[in-house]
Amino acid sequence: GISHCPARRPAPCEDSRVKTPPSPLLAGAPPTRRHGPRQVVPCSRLSPSPLSSHGAQPPAHPVSAFPRRRLMHWHPNPGVTLNTQILSEACGCAESLGGTKDGRWKTSIIFYRPMTRDGAGGAQQNLPPDVPRELLGVALHERPGLYFSILRNQRLVLQADAAFSQVMEKLQSFKARVNLNFEGFQYQLGDFCLRIGKCVPNNTETLRGIMMEVEYYPLSSIEKSRAIMVDFFDIWQETLAKKSLPGRFIHVESNFAEYGLSDHYSFQHTAVQYATCLQQLMAAVRA
Amino acid sequence: LTFFFLWVCTMQHVEALEVLLQGLSGVPKERVRVHELCLKSVPMLGAVPSEVRLLCDLAQPTPSWTIRHVGGAMRGAGAEQISILVRTIVESKASSNVLRYFYGIGYKLDHEILKVGFAFRFQRGAQFTVTVTSANKMPKLHATDEAVQVTPGIQLVEITAPAAANNYNDVVSAVTSFCEYLAPLLHLSKPGNSTGIVPTAGAAAASLMSSGGAKTL
Repeated sequence: GISHCPARRPAPCEDSRVKTPPSPLLAGAPPTRRHGPRQVVPCSRLSPSPLSSHGAQPPAHPVSAFPRRRLMHWHPNPGVTLNTQILSEACGCAESLGGTKDGRWKTSIIFYRPMTRDGAGGAQQNLPPDVPRELLGVALHERPGLYFSILRNQRLVLQADAAFSQVMEKLQSFKARVNLNFEGFQYQLGDFCLRIGKCVPNNTETLRGIMMEVEYYPLSSIEKSRAIMVDFFDIWQETLAKKSLPGRFIHVESNFAEYGLSDHYSFQHTAVQYATCLQQLMAAVRA
Repeated sequence: LTFFFLWVCTMQHVEALEVLLQGLSGVPKERVRVHELCLKSVPMLGAVPSEVRLLCDLAQPTPSWTIRHVGGAMRGAGAEQISILVRTIVESKASSNVLRYFYGIGYKLDHEILKVGFAFRFQRGAQFTVTVTSANKMPKLHATDEAVQVTPGIQLVEITAPAAANNYNDVVSAVTSFCEYLAPLLHLSKPGNSTGIVPTAGAAAASLMSSGGAKTL
């Protein structure tokens, strides 16, 4: 079971102070479901800065308070191929820790490649060198109305509406080439939510990776929640280790500051983490 | 959702139009101050050259950004029957780094204007937004505070209404009927068909101004 943080949900403007010590995180108490629907304050996309400062991504609006999330990818041992048994074992772990299954989830990453006059993917050497060879689109599972686009080479994350992908279709400058889905089950464990999933290309069952998301509701400050996240991860790893699986979950830090993102967690942070996670998954598969 | 954008010609009697729209809509006008940046793709990028507009709403305390793509003019048998030019637009809200984003993916600033005026948003068979603005150009890059009118005394009237494939005809019909109410002051036409100035507009305007719009034209 999981001991829980104070019953009162923090107001959007304040960070809760965790009354219980970070460890032991897990105690003998039965699991507590989160209290009602998550009170997510819509993150303001607006910047108080005038156009002249459009060169820098402004910090998130101070009243936005999104729960902190951490993504981890499955790194298989050398020579071991990926298989879905790891997924089942990880889900089993979540349940053994007292997690209650809470439905499915799916986040998509779309790779865009530039088009040239010669046609699809044709003579890209004709493109100016500063045109990126790849754009990422990210559609997060809990915000179907939003769409994120990441320029990795420029450390830029754009937040837009779902209509953004239609704009790109109309422009015909970049074309969506590959669509990867991250999907699986989610579990509630007290103040935590675990999403465990596989990475598969759209409309196929080819397993490209396994990953998980840990969300911690009470805090939106990355710094303040770091210790709690690390503690949770330690417990998770200990539990999973008993299964002797051929690999482990790894968290790779995303450099949020490089993307101009603040300490206050937001959907843009999650989009950036997905891009980082995907990079890691692809490297792990290649290795 | 695709927005249908109906391009209307310029007109001169803006105060009278404001009175007329106030009467027709029953809602208060909203201030419009939009910095519109028109970006074009660099050579060789894209199957075809493309253009995208970024709109920064400066009327609100915190500026907000919208990406707008304006499609080509509607064509075909349906288009012939409508007396006005119809174009489709697709819009998305965006975070304030959207200009840097488009610069980063191979778009360059072609021109920018500041549109200043007013708008009415109301429901009348469709969700209308009627915007009346003057176009202002900036002497220096992004210098919105120093913008001057491009054509003093001439305003641009734009009518937009959202529509989807399954209600497109109803929306076009609602807009066409609504435009008939504006006929005393402005003549809606396709480019090349008319000057857009209604001969009796002056008289109609005077009538509107004196009666506050209560009298029917």
